[in-house]
Amino acid sequence: MDGQRAIVLTNQFTELERVAHEVEAFGEAHGLGAKSIFNVNLALDEILTNVISYGYPEGGEHVITVRLKLSAAELVIEVEDDGRPFNPLGTAAPDTEQSPDERPIGGLGLHLVRKVMDRLEYRREHGKNIFILTKVMR
Amino acid sequence: MEITEERRNGLVILSVQGRLDASNAGVLESKFLTLIAGGDRRFVLDGARLDYISSAGLRVLLVARKRLGPSDGVIVLCALKEQIKEIFDIAGFSSIFSIYGTQDEALAAQPGQM
Repeated sequence: MDGQRAIVLTNQFTELERVAHEVEAFGEAHGLGAKSIFNVNLALDEILTNVISYGYPEGGEHVITVRLKLSAAELVIEVEDDGRPFNPLGTAAPDTEQSPDERPIGGLGLHLVRKVMDRLEYRREHGKNIFILTKVMR
Repeated sequence: MEITEERRNGLVILSVQGRLDASNAGVLESKFLTLIAGGDRRFVLDGARLDYISSAGLRVLLVARKRLGPSDGVIVLCALKEQIKEIFDIAGFSSIFSIYGTQDEALAAQPGQM
């Protein structure tokens, strides 16, 4: 069941679909269920969308690297980018009980990541942001 | 992602096919805002062929709902796949938007307006 894969993409939203297909292929090849694959793709999409949206205010083409590492115990997804420092753990969770008029637009992405993954870690290292998402295999 | 638009009983039915993510959410947002600007107030989003939605797609629904304001406007959803319904639940959107099992149920629940 162990497996690893690296996916390299540029900072464009059109890359999200290709990344999703690669994660799906990886998941299917290693026997992950459809629900796990869906949730892992969602979490990864949200992190990548944040990086692409806010990581590069100066523009230009940048490379983002995704590494998938699967063991019997867990699936670890590492996202590495050279965008401006951004710690997603510092953002407040939205109040999902609020009415539509009260609810701020935004902040949902990281809420979803926290809900569908078991652990979310962040560190800044050698001028890069590194996000580590972990899904415990049950 | 493809959007099909249809009108029945005074409601606009938008069927979204494929993936709704940050790369194409703007297309659906423009569609909603153009229709609302043109006077449409009642919408059904049919998710029978929607394979995936991220927060960028959820955000569009919130933007459209806010644009309708406290009028008689309504946005309901139908035929969401199980995993997508779960995302609506997690996001708290199931309490903002009514979600029906089928398009017929969604239409039947809305008062007719010829």
